[in-house]
Amino acid sequence: MAEVVLENICKTYGNNFHAIDQLNLSVEDGEFLILVGPSGCGKSTALRMIAGLEDITSGSLRIGGTDVVDMPPKDRDIAMVFQSYALYPHMTVFENIAFSMRLAGKPKAERKKRVDEIAKTLQLTSLLDSKPANLSGGQRQRVAMGRAMVREPAAFLMDEPLSNLDAKLRVQMRAEITRLQKQLGVTTIYVTHDQTEAMTMGDRVAVLKGGVLQQVDTPKRLYESPVNAFVAGFIGSPSMNLFEATMTGGELMSGAFAIRLQDAAFARRPGLKSYAGRKIVFGIRPEDLYDSSLESGRKYQTIPAKVTSIEELGSEHIVHLNIDAIRVDSGDPDAVQDFGLTSNAVARFEPDSTVRSGSEIRLALDDTKLHFFDPETHLAI
Amino acid sequence: MTRQKRSHHKLKRAVAPYLYLSPSLVIISLLMLLPMVTVIGYSFQNSAVLRRDPSFAGLKHYQAIFNDPVFWASLWHTLYFTCMSVIFHMTIGMIFALMLNSDRINPMLRNILRVLYILPWLFTAVIIAVIWRLLLEPNGVVNSMLLQLGIIGSKVEWFSSPETALHAVTFANIWAGYPLFMVSLLAGLQGIPKDFYEAADIDGAKAYQKLIFITIPQLMPIIISISLLDFIWTMQVFPLIWITTGGGPIYSTEVLSTYTYKLAFSSYNLSQASASAVVILLISLGLTLFYIRYQKAR
Repeated sequence: MAEVVLENICKTYGNNFHAIDQLNLSVEDGEFLILVGPSGCGKSTALRMIAGLEDITSGSLRIGGTDVVDMPPKDRDIAMVFQSYALYPHMTVFENIAFSMRLAGKPKAERKKRVDEIAKTLQLTSLLDSKPANLSGGQRQRVAMGRAMVREPAAFLMDEPLSNLDAKLRVQMRAEITRLQKQLGVTTIYVTHDQTEAMTMGDRVAVLKGGVLQQVDTPKRLYESPVNAFVAGFIGSPSMNLFEATMTGGELMSGAFAIRLQDAAFARRPGLKSYAGRKIVFGIRPEDLYDSSLESGRKYQTIPAKVTSIEELGSEHIVHLNIDAIRVDSGDPDAVQDFGLTSNAVARFEPDSTVRSGSEIRLALDDTKLHFFDPETHLAI
Repeated sequence: MTRQKRSHHKLKRAVAPYLYLSPSLVIISLLMLLPMVTVIGYSFQNSAVLRRDPSFAGLKHYQAIFNDPVFWASLWHTLYFTCMSVIFHMTIGMIFALMLNSDRINPMLRNILRVLYILPWLFTAVIIAVIWRLLLEPNGVVNSMLLQLGIIGSKVEWFSSPETALHAVTFANIWAGYPLFMVSLLAGLQGIPKDFYEAADIDGAKAYQKLIFITIPQLMPIIISISLLDFIWTMQVFPLIWITTGGGPIYSTEVLSTYTYKLAFSSYNLSQASASAVVILLISLGLTLFYIRYQKAR
């Protein structure tokens, strides 16, 4: 177990492409840190640099207090779980798990003892003689975990290990990996593009965009206090609704509607006053929008909206809406999927909502849950 | 649909695949099966082809070739020529494929080497035979180079000396045949996921351990398939040996194909030549069956 510290880490490729720019990150001993971001944000590159599979252009990397920048992967005392699992198809589960011990020249009896222990923890005992081709996705994933565990490393590095599993199994394995990490207490850095994984698994989450670290914090704080519009849009599913408005006399004016802001909003954010008479970006999460015809939405102010489509999920309705405001792009390419082409807002309504597609409704919003961002820098106010 | 129409439709569906297969089946039967059966027939006849009413000879011709020491020498030479060729084709092909697949070699140089290494494949057996005859003749380039380097004391008659002739034709055949392995193994190497090597790097594998534990097992299906095919093809090599040494000197490079050819077209003993051809056929058939079984097992 060890602390992993990245200081001013940069990665520049030959074509002058900066994959990682000045990354500073400190992962505490035994911590479960999630690296999350959209495709191409540099999260896998960062993980591969920690593993030693990519050279570090500049900066320092310490694992357990030792500078490992110039060390080969085998000497860094880490173990990695790959997205593809990288299980050797010609070897049995036992041989796959014991591979690193075999390379290290450990005696057969010791190998067997250790693999048996791990197989027991991962419920793989009955599968030790099977080849990877005969295993299910979840079993392969567990074998990959076993291969990492056998080395008793100072840190686990996991590169989207659940992305090849179906949705149901992913939920199951999410809990399994979290449990194992807590049980073993090994420092873990876990890369994913799935913000649900990020929010449910990690002690802390580091959000990357374009090779630049945006924010690193606990899932709750990331969700409640995003430092910029990108983090606000990326964390949470469906994404936060972001709109452009003008601040006029304590109100947000946008198209045909105005949202009154309470004094408490200004008290919490002293910087908000300086936007009087100016453009501002405001954000509201889908769960803070309500159907005004239901009891839950009656206490909030309303704005006009047109329902474009509804996804009835049983436990809730995901309602796609059009409101008279200009939507602001958070910079998250995946957010487009949440809104589609015909709507510019999305809300989460209770299942007893009776709104219909195509109808004009009054949309209730909890103005105490509004987020504010600078229209130029997109930084939180 | 009436019952009659239905049965007609059923019949059409059942017959269709055989109709599609029939042109190739007819051509293969005429060009391969018929000559094969005819040769087997000749091997049991006296004065086959030469006489209009050849008599039945039983196993006489088989006895004759099995009692001929030249046949056994040819069989041994064939096995030596084939085994050495396959082993070196595989080894050289593997080394070159690994080189061409390596990230450590400059991509430009890799492209040049790729063309250079594949060159022997572009030549026909006749050209290869002529090239090596010129290179290995007593006053040829190879002798003068080896003399210059002090490796040999006097000029060696590579193809004319019984001690060196078999090694020389085997060498020429190795040179001509390794690109098949190289290209096949290179395709195989490019198909091995990079993750396997990265996982091995993290586990602390050295280069030779990655070769033994990852590369070779991953390439094994290709190695076995191509080796078996190469074995079958090399056993039947004729033009290279015929043009370089003609099976000599003193039968030192006689292989089953040249032995059979001489029986047929020098001694005009077509019956014994047929018996010898059947022996080659049986050996090839054994290997082919092994190859098919291996392919099916996969």
